Amino acid sequence: MVFRDGCDLKLLVTGANGFLGRYVVAEALRRGHAVRAALRSAADVAKLGWANHPNLEIARVDLRSRRGLVDAVAGTDAVLHLAAAKSGDMYAQYAGTVVATENLLAAMTEANVRRIVVISSLSVYNYLKIPSFSLLSEDSPLETDAFQRDEYAHTKLVQERLVRDHATQNGWGFTVLRPGVIYGKDNLFTARLGMQAGRVWIRTGAWAKLPLTYVENCAEAIVLAAENDTALGQTLNVIDDDPPTQRRYAAMLRRRLSPRPVIIPVAWSVMWLLAGMAVTTNKLLFKNRAKIPGLFIPARLHARCKPLRFTNQKIKATLGWKPRYSVSESLDRSLGKSDAELTKVDTPTTAAAPVGNKAEVAA
Amino acid sequence: MALETQPEPAPHPPRLKAAVIGTGKISEEHLRFLGADPHVTLAAVCDLSPSLAKYAVARFGAQQAFTDSSQMLADARPDVVHVLTPPHTHAKLVTDALTSGAHVIVEKPVAPSNREFRDLWSLAQSRGRRIVEDHNYRFNEPVLAIEKLVAEGELGDVREVDVRMALGVRKPGGRYMDENLPHPSHRMPAGVIHEFITHLCYLALRFLPSFERVAAAWSKHGNDALFKHDDLDALVIGGPVHARIRFTSHAAPDCFSLTVRGTRGWAETDLFQPHLRVVVPRKGGQQLSPLVNHWMNGAGMMRASLSGFRNKVLQKTPYEGLRTFLDRTYTALRAGGEPPVTYDDMDRASRLVDAMLDESNRV
Repeated sequence: MVFRDGCDLKLLVTGANGFLGRYVVAEALRRGHAVRAALRSAADVAKLGWANHPNLEIARVDLRSRRGLVDAVAGTDAVLHLAAAKSGDMYAQYAGTVVATENLLAAMTEANVRRIVVISSLSVYNYLKIPSFSLLSEDSPLETDAFQRDEYAHTKLVQERLVRDHATQNGWGFTVLRPGVIYGKDNLFTARLGMQAGRVWIRTGAWAKLPLTYVENCAEAIVLAAENDTALGQTLNVIDDDPPTQRRYAAMLRRRLSPRPVIIPVAWSVMWLLAGMAVTTNKLLFKNRAKIPGLFIPARLHARCKPLRFTNQKIKATLGWKPRYSVSESLDRSLGKSDAELTKVDTPTTAAAPVGNKAEVAA
Repeated sequence: MALETQPEPAPHPPRLKAAVIGTGKISEEHLRFLGADPHVTLAAVCDLSPSLAKYAVARFGAQQAFTDSSQMLADARPDVVHVLTPPHTHAKLVTDALTSGAHVIVEKPVAPSNREFRDLWSLAQSRGRRIVEDHNYRFNEPVLAIEKLVAEGELGDVREVDVRMALGVRKPGGRYMDENLPHPSHRMPAGVIHEFITHLCYLALRFLPSFERVAAAWSKHGNDALFKHDDLDALVIGGPVHARIRFTSHAAPDCFSLTVRGTRGWAETDLFQPHLRVVVPRKGGQQLSPLVNHWMNGAGMMRASLSGFRNKVLQKTPYEGLRTFLDRTYTALRAGGEPPVTYDDMDRASRLVDAMLDESNRV
């Protein structure tokens, strides 16, 4: 580890205002690192607990453009690359995830920053090739036909390959983290549970394990990956201990909500059958030209709802990570605390020097 | 100039080599046509983002991907280049493509002003090449049906044209509201409305042979700092024909309607919710014509609802006219004939835009 100016590491966090990014910034500051938070020009972080921390500086950049990126990256020891688009059509997600990563890698090359932790996703695996109830691990096969998958999985596959190829070619240190379902405040329902229509939840499956990782647990794993040389060159799935089943998690969450949602269970086998029928109908009647809902496309249905087992042995052994909060504690924190409380970072008695010599790096 | 030494293309080449510059959202429909048309070889695609260019190769079967358009023109030597980049980049890219000896199909507007359009046209003329601006909505089935009604005299002599677009460009989170990376159209003389105004003008001009008087009210009713204007209400008069051109971002739902009124009857459509309504004298005389029109149009709306459902399932979008436009354009280019969008079509559309922006015509 590097130790400089009173801080362990100088870290650039992209997507620092996002659902996960705000916790990663908090965790990095708590662990004594200096953080440069990459934020878009309109992002407002004033209500977050770390907004005025002395070891934090803000870089106003948009990764979809190269403007200001070299300055934002310069002087850091590592980049924690969280920024990604999670919604929009394929072109919007390409811009927010893939083009953003291309621009970041170009800036890192120019600024000679040679360490990156990229946040990929558990969605990159080939779920059609993984048998039901088998163990999904880092050795499971990756999706080979990205066009069968939704925009998020597609762009995550491309992004991960970009980082791996670029880092390998340039001799950088890199770590690929593949979190499962990241949940936390304002993000407690997951597509792996089914569909949500107001107070009505259609729970597609019951006994499939949910590969959950609570956002604060996940944030700690990400910072650990930057701190530990054992993570170099590694690909690690990020999943908390004892993943609950869909049924158990839905029940735990439902108990804590008021008014309580109505859960309509639909068996995995029924979904599997419906998807098969949809595909056959499309093939026979529409020559595969019809647009069918994502949940009825087998590759996407399997990725969301297939009953599998999960392991987090590799990440625990590599990073010494032990998820801090259980599912129950995570739900209570998510529902009982404000953003400011959850991201609060105590101010150190002696402020360390910021990453650069400016309070804000202009774009 | 190098082009004078270029060999003339064969008079009727069996297949034209096409290339695309700019593989963002709008390229999707162009590439779908180019990838499937048996008379076209999709020789190359080019984008500043290598990943986006590779995506176009994988999805649409382009033979090569480039990130440098000059390199692409030199290596792939396309017969036709589609310029699908933001408008402020058109002048250079169109010039380069023409100079390389290619015909150019370009997204609207070709240029921000009529003078700049004419400069490019002169260059094309001097090289013996064509510039064809995308006037895709002209080739949507309902518009072609209205043109046929006019040509057959069903509506009598045209006296009024109403082209109206309501579009939620100010929708929070939308591409035109992105403060972090403002959409390139904000830089155009009419701001975001410039993105759509060519469509409005060329549709009006299909039924308005000339224009002598123009009055345009450009307004901004919203408070968004990004926008120059978010509303246009223009009156255009040519001889006895009055046209109203309307753009609003304040009315809902989204629509793109065209109404043509003649001395005998009228017809209207909405390209976003396709249908055709025709009110003309029917058999049965003055007394029964209203009833017969209701019956006929009622049956037509029922058919439109069924075809709308079919279009939804089969992913037929309001861009359906683009396919016809490209098909006719390539047929003309192969035969050395006049493309379906002529110099006169483009010149008049761009002169009308200039006239509406002219300070002396503003109200």
